[in-house]
Amino acid sequence: MTGKALIAVSGLTKHFGGLTAVEDLGLELFPGEILALIGPNGAGKTTTFNLIAGVSRPTAGSIALAGARIDGLPVHRIAALGLMRTFQHNMPFAGMSLTGNILVGCHTNCDGSLFDILLGRRRFRDREAAARRRAAELTEFVGLQERIDHDVSTLSFGEGRLLELARALAGEPRVILLDEPAAGLTQPEMARLGTAIRDIAARGIAVLLIEHDMHFLFPLAQRIVVLNFGRKIAEGTPEAIARNPLVIEAYLGEAVGGVVARPAHA
Amino acid sequence: MRPARDALIWFAAIIAASALAFWLGGYATDVYRKMLIWVALALSYNFLFGIAGQVAFSHFAFAGVGAYGVVILAHKLGLPFGAALVLALALCALLAFIVALPSTRLEGFYLSLATLAFAQLVIVVISEGGDLTGGTGGIANYRLPSVFGYVIRGPWYTVLLVLLVAFTLWTLRRLDYSAFGRACRAIRDNAVAAAAMGVDVRRVKVQAFTLTSTLAGLAGIAYAYIDNVINPPVFGIENIFLLLFMVIVGGSGSHIGAIIGAVFLYLAPFVLEPIVGHGFLIVFGVLVVLTILFQPSGLAGLLNRRPARGAT
Repeated sequence: MTGKALIAVSGLTKHFGGLTAVEDLGLELFPGEILALIGPNGAGKTTTFNLIAGVSRPTAGSIALAGARIDGLPVHRIAALGLMRTFQHNMPFAGMSLTGNILVGCHTNCDGSLFDILLGRRRFRDREAAARRRAAELTEFVGLQERIDHDVSTLSFGEGRLLELARALAGEPRVILLDEPAAGLTQPEMARLGTAIRDIAARGIAVLLIEHDMHFLFPLAQRIVVLNFGRKIAEGTPEAIARNPLVIEAYLGEAVGGVVARPAHA
Repeated sequence: MRPARDALIWFAAIIAASALAFWLGGYATDVYRKMLIWVALALSYNFLFGIAGQVAFSHFAFAGVGAYGVVILAHKLGLPFGAALVLALALCALLAFIVALPSTRLEGFYLSLATLAFAQLVIVVISEGGDLTGGTGGIANYRLPSVFGYVIRGPWYTVLLVLLVAFTLWTLRRLDYSAFGRACRAIRDNAVAAAAMGVDVRRVKVQAFTLTSTLAGLAGIAYAYIDNVINPPVFGIENIFLLLFMVIVGGSGSHIGAIIGAVFLYLAPFVLEPIVGHGFLIVFGVLVVLTILFQPSGLAGLLNRRPARGAT
């Protein structure tokens, strides 16, 4: 990879009491790149996500976003710096409209002081209008425009996933973290998600994803980092990872080597 | 949003509600004025409870702080009325901010308990405040002084209350249809996801609590000059449950619902009491349970096939 890393993690370690969830992890994520984090359950993938997103603080090590340290900052500050995420389990704002949900994603772009809001300052009104245009665009981007008037609680699981993606994109992130985006999706929904993720990366956004579905992941990811017991055991292109004996032993198993040869959607 | 049409609706509603003040008789005026206070309180409580999701029980306590604050400052300590008004509001805002700092760290039930404790404390202070608060008898025999030479009396005071409701509604709607209102609703629905979207959860919670409690204080100040009497029971715990019922029956999270709920539940006892006596409280209880079970979007939801979930 050339250019400067958008996310640079080094020496990242997290202990939960006596348990070491992540140990001495280093990884770099570049603009426009799709990087996947894989490994068996309990390997520390979600813990790594939570450390990067600021949900929990690392025991040791550093995390930088575009060269500036973000470890130790609260979640909302990290989000405001351009790091957005989706969750393993959908977390919609169930009492709000679909557009309202996406507009929350725009929060840092249209938040103002209470006085700005009450006085209806021009600058504030313009940002609000821009956010609404963006929400409409994103609804179309993820293909939910037909559901725009529906109650969020009536969306299918897959549609909920796409809504989360639109909501995360609304904040115009530089980095997006996707925690098992394909889990529970139907084949057509997965294809739609794969296309959306490629489009996102093509816009220059760095994508870091956790995924268990190798048929979905291998054709999509440019690079894969494999975790086992909190440690990085391999890193490389999907082709290299699929042939790596350590990875096959720890996670993939013998049979999956052929995945790379037959892309899930081509 | 059609600004011209909206302005016309606001104007027509204010004129109609004000005109009523000149037409109503003495007793009806008293009922109407108190109803307007309930509407103002229900509107701000709806924002706190229905939109921001904070089940706080301190709303009437802040109305009490406002009412006692202005009366003590203006009539016991003899400050100019304008200064007393501003100071009483500032006191509400300051107290609300102080209460909000620790209690918004608490979730659900524990926030309710903390605000309930504060509400009880306010009642104790105003009941035991000796000469300054008039004890359990409260304070009476004061009158709204002239402001810039104008003396607001009779129907014109009712018009002032209509303007109070309009100001409260305008402020809360403006906040609701903004990033702030969306942040409040998002926190109510899922605080973890809201933070991940860049919402400063604590700041928004403290702001929502402080602002709505200050609006309750303003309503309390207006209440103080309706009968020119204030006493502790009005600001006690029982009324907060009626306010909660109003918001739920009207349609939690909906501004128009808060207005409908307040008008409906405030006026209902006048119809029900001759028939069932104090049994109207049972009717209220049943109504609330039925609303929660079968019509969660409340009476406002009946008006609109799509529930007024706002923030679009």
